[in-house]
Amino acid sequence: MSGGLVAKGMEVSFGGVRALRGVDIVVSPGAVMGLIGRNGSGKSTLFNCITGFVRPSGGRVSVDGKDITGMRPHQVVAKGVGRTFQTPRLEARTSVLTAVTCGLYASVRSSLVGALFGSPWAMREERLLRERAEAEMERLGLANLRHVEVGKLSLGLLRLVEVARCLVSGARFVMLDEPAAGLTSVEKDKLAAEVRAVAARGLGVLLVEHNIDMVRQLCRSVAVLETGNVLCQGTPDEVLRNDDVIRSYLGALGDIEDAAGGWQ
Amino acid sequence: MIHFVEYVLRGALAGAIYALLAAPMSLLFATARTIDFAVGAYALIAAAVAATIGGIAGAEAGLAAAMLSAAIMSLIFVGLKRLGCEDGIVFALASFGLSAVIESFVLWYWGARSFIVSYVAASWSLGGIRLDQQGLFNLLIAAIVVVILHVVVRHSSLGRMMRASAVNAVGATLAAIPVEGLQMGVYLAGGLLAGLAGLLVLYSAGIDFTAPLGLTLSGFGAAIVFGVGSPLRCLFGGIAMGVAQALASGYLSEALSAMTPFLFILLVLSMRPADTEALAGGRP
Amino acid sequence: MSFVARRGNTLVLAICVLIALPVVTRNAVWTDSAALLGIYALLALSVGLSYGQAGILTLSQAAFASLGAYAAAICTVRWGWPPLADLPVALLLPALIAFPVARLVARLSPLATALSTLAIGSIIAIAIRSADDFTGGYMGIAGVPSIGFVKAPASYAWLIWAMVVIVVFLYENLCHSAYGRALNVLRFDQARAAADGVNPPMLVSAAFAISSSIAGVSGWLYAHYISFVSPESLDAHLSISALLMAVVGGAEFILGPILGTLLLDGLTRLLPAAELQGVYYGIALIVILLVARRGIFGLIEGGLAQVRQLRRSRSGEVTALEIEASRP
Ligand SMILES: Nc1ncnc2c1ncn2[C@@H]1O[C@H](COP(=O)(O)OP(=O)(O)OP(=O)(O)O)[C@@H](O)[C@H]1O
Ligand SMILES: [Mg+2]
Repeated sequence: MSGGLVAKGMEVSFGGVRALRGVDIVVSPGAVMGLIGRNGSGKSTLFNCITGFVRPSGGRVSVDGKDITGMRPHQVVAKGVGRTFQTPRLEARTSVLTAVTCGLYASVRSSLVGALFGSPWAMREERLLRERAEAEMERLGLANLRHVEVGKLSLGLLRLVEVARCLVSGARFVMLDEPAAGLTSVEKDKLAAEVRAVAARGLGVLLVEHNIDMVRQLCRSVAVLETGNVLCQGTPDEVLRNDDVIRSYLGALGDIEDAAGGWQ
Repeated sequence: MIHFVEYVLRGALAGAIYALLAAPMSLLFATARTIDFAVGAYALIAAAVAATIGGIAGAEAGLAAAMLSAAIMSLIFVGLKRLGCEDGIVFALASFGLSAVIESFVLWYWGARSFIVSYVAASWSLGGIRLDQQGLFNLLIAAIVVVILHVVVRHSSLGRMMRASAVNAVGATLAAIPVEGLQMGVYLAGGLLAGLAGLLVLYSAGIDFTAPLGLTLSGFGAAIVFGVGSPLRCLFGGIAMGVAQALASGYLSEALSAMTPFLFILLVLSMRPADTEALAGGRP
Repeated sequence: MSFVARRGNTLVLAICVLIALPVVTRNAVWTDSAALLGIYALLALSVGLSYGQAGILTLSQAAFASLGAYAAAICTVRWGWPPLADLPVALLLPALIAFPVARLVARLSPLATALSTLAIGSIIAIAIRSADDFTGGYMGIAGVPSIGFVKAPASYAWLIWAMVVIVVFLYENLCHSAYGRALNVLRFDQARAAADGVNPPMLVSAAFAISSSIAGVSGWLYAHYISFVSPESLDAHLSISALLMAVVGGAEFILGPILGTLLLDGLTRLLPAAELQGVYYGIALIVILLVARRGIFGLIEGGLAQVRQLRRSRSGEVTALEIEASRP
């Protein structure tokens, strides 16, 4: 296995439900890989089993040729794979800045003891972390929300905070679970620009998105999931022309848009 | 060998009381995802009241006092819930507060004396092994109570509602199951059973104001040894712990015997698999 | 953030101590109370770190304190070590027990962890009581020497409160670091913390170990100040009192446990009978859980937030809602 984030033959079942039945996916550095599929097709489950939140019953995951199958979530992060959650998981009272700074945990070098004694080194690192977080928030247009408590934000902006928290971590591969749901069109453009910039910096991006325009704009390659199988894979235009896909996914698109509308 | 059998039998009799404390804990955990740390205190207040009044009337008054205390706890529980608290640990913390109140009240009103009443001092001899009748009576009561609970949980509509609200409280509420009422009922049942346990302790080994914490923990040990699930498991858990305690005191040392419930708890907890479901997270 | 802003709690505490202690130490009874209060405050702080930050409802802090106290007594009385040489033992011994235990159970639910702290506390207490030759059993150990230069009760009061200030300083550093933030995240959501790269059981156990060391220090001070330890000195009831003190003051706030200690202990002195302490503490806990779950500091913070919001809306500053409303 060569470069990139490679998952081969992933299988996951929850009791009787076989959520993934042998899914292959490759995320190359510098590229945005799209992942689409109707509700319940297993997209989030694929995220969970790549990042160690769910133990796969079969299949292997590797990063740049190094096997990471079955590692615990924090070990996966240490290998340079970051993720967002589809439902933002944030504590209501933290400020946006703090929430984003939390994403930098994996890059902290000073020790717990150093932090405890407030060593100059730890203090300097703390300042650097803050600067990095602020820079990322600036790029995503979150800068003037810095001191707002996350509990006061809408679901769309919460997702954006999640994205910032993931991107800031310095991961080489980032997996974004429906980051654009609930954003206004201007915010979507900002997000798209940032995702493109991130890929241009050499990061590999795996993007789950129901918004076809955004997928078409950003992704060179798209995989379609259907009840735990990869239905087909190719450029966005190829995939969207595929009859199976049209039947499976686009047929349900109307419902999905409705559902997405109902969330806001 | 005869010693061994004797230790096992005595331990089993002593462990029956733990089962009475354990059963309501496992029910409460199943229906409300929390722990009532005050069960030991309910047992204490029941014993104290019963010893003071004496006789059947005393026993009844003791049970009433225990249930009254549990009713207070259930009101605190509902109050916390109404104020938007969903955190099981906060309910547990509140039950600590109540436990402190009861213990301290008993200490203030009755002083540091220990309560003991013996009605049946007789014992049977069985092939050289002495078994006191009170102990056998305790085991009988515990077994009857646990079997009744088991039947209620498994085979009645009340039990079905309880199981439904344990699996999914929101869904059960939508299905018009009075989840909150059930949870209060389980707190009250905990008071009744703990009070009963307190009476049995009063009639056997005796109890003083320092006992509640130990009783509560022994109850926990019994409740979790074989997995929190059914009242029957609590009975076996209680007996297993009583036996382990008796064996430790017979062959090893008193200190180890006293540590047994706590070692049980640590051992069982450290062998439990991690909650992976909690990590995977729910779907929106 | 400036140096001062990140040490706000430490500075406030240090100033309070510098103002109050010179007055208090003029009176012998008050001096003694101040010293004991400082010891309880340390114990409550250790609860604050473990419950308020790491989310471990701990019921074993008095047991860890008694480990510290017995370490002091045994090292100095039995083995004749010079005072101060026993401090590292009092610090490390509790941590060495707390860490592996927490490591075993921290991956389970918070309730399971609370239970196991109760269990480990009881085991330590029983072990101390029954190791007669070593710990003196029920009799305890008398004649613990004072800490070198510190002899008078007033100097002890100063030493103890200096220790409280140092602990608050360290605690505040921790809270303003990536580790402190990570603890806050995983208290609410382990999965979220793990996705940031945190190893939840590891970090929680480390925090619990640090908190047990703080308890160990309070026991160390206790043994040298009182010069006597027995199983009754630091018993399980003190664990519960420390927990109540922390929760009443506001466990997640750095100074909350200290405020809770002063409040509960101060008001205990007004009680008609010492036996009623539990009634009073228990009711205080239940009332605070019902009316202000985040403790007194939580109440204060809520009030301040409202004032700030009012002032903001007066001064025409944009609020979160307006930002949301003005989204393009
Ligand atoms: N923790 C779980 N326990 C049991 N079943 C689960 C769990 N997580 C997911 N599933 C099931 O696995 C299947 C795939 O779910 P998944 O969340 O991966 O879908 P998805 O493609 O992300 O859908 P959506 O577009 O709604 O986010 C579904 O049938 C779901 O019910
Ligand atoms: Mg999903």
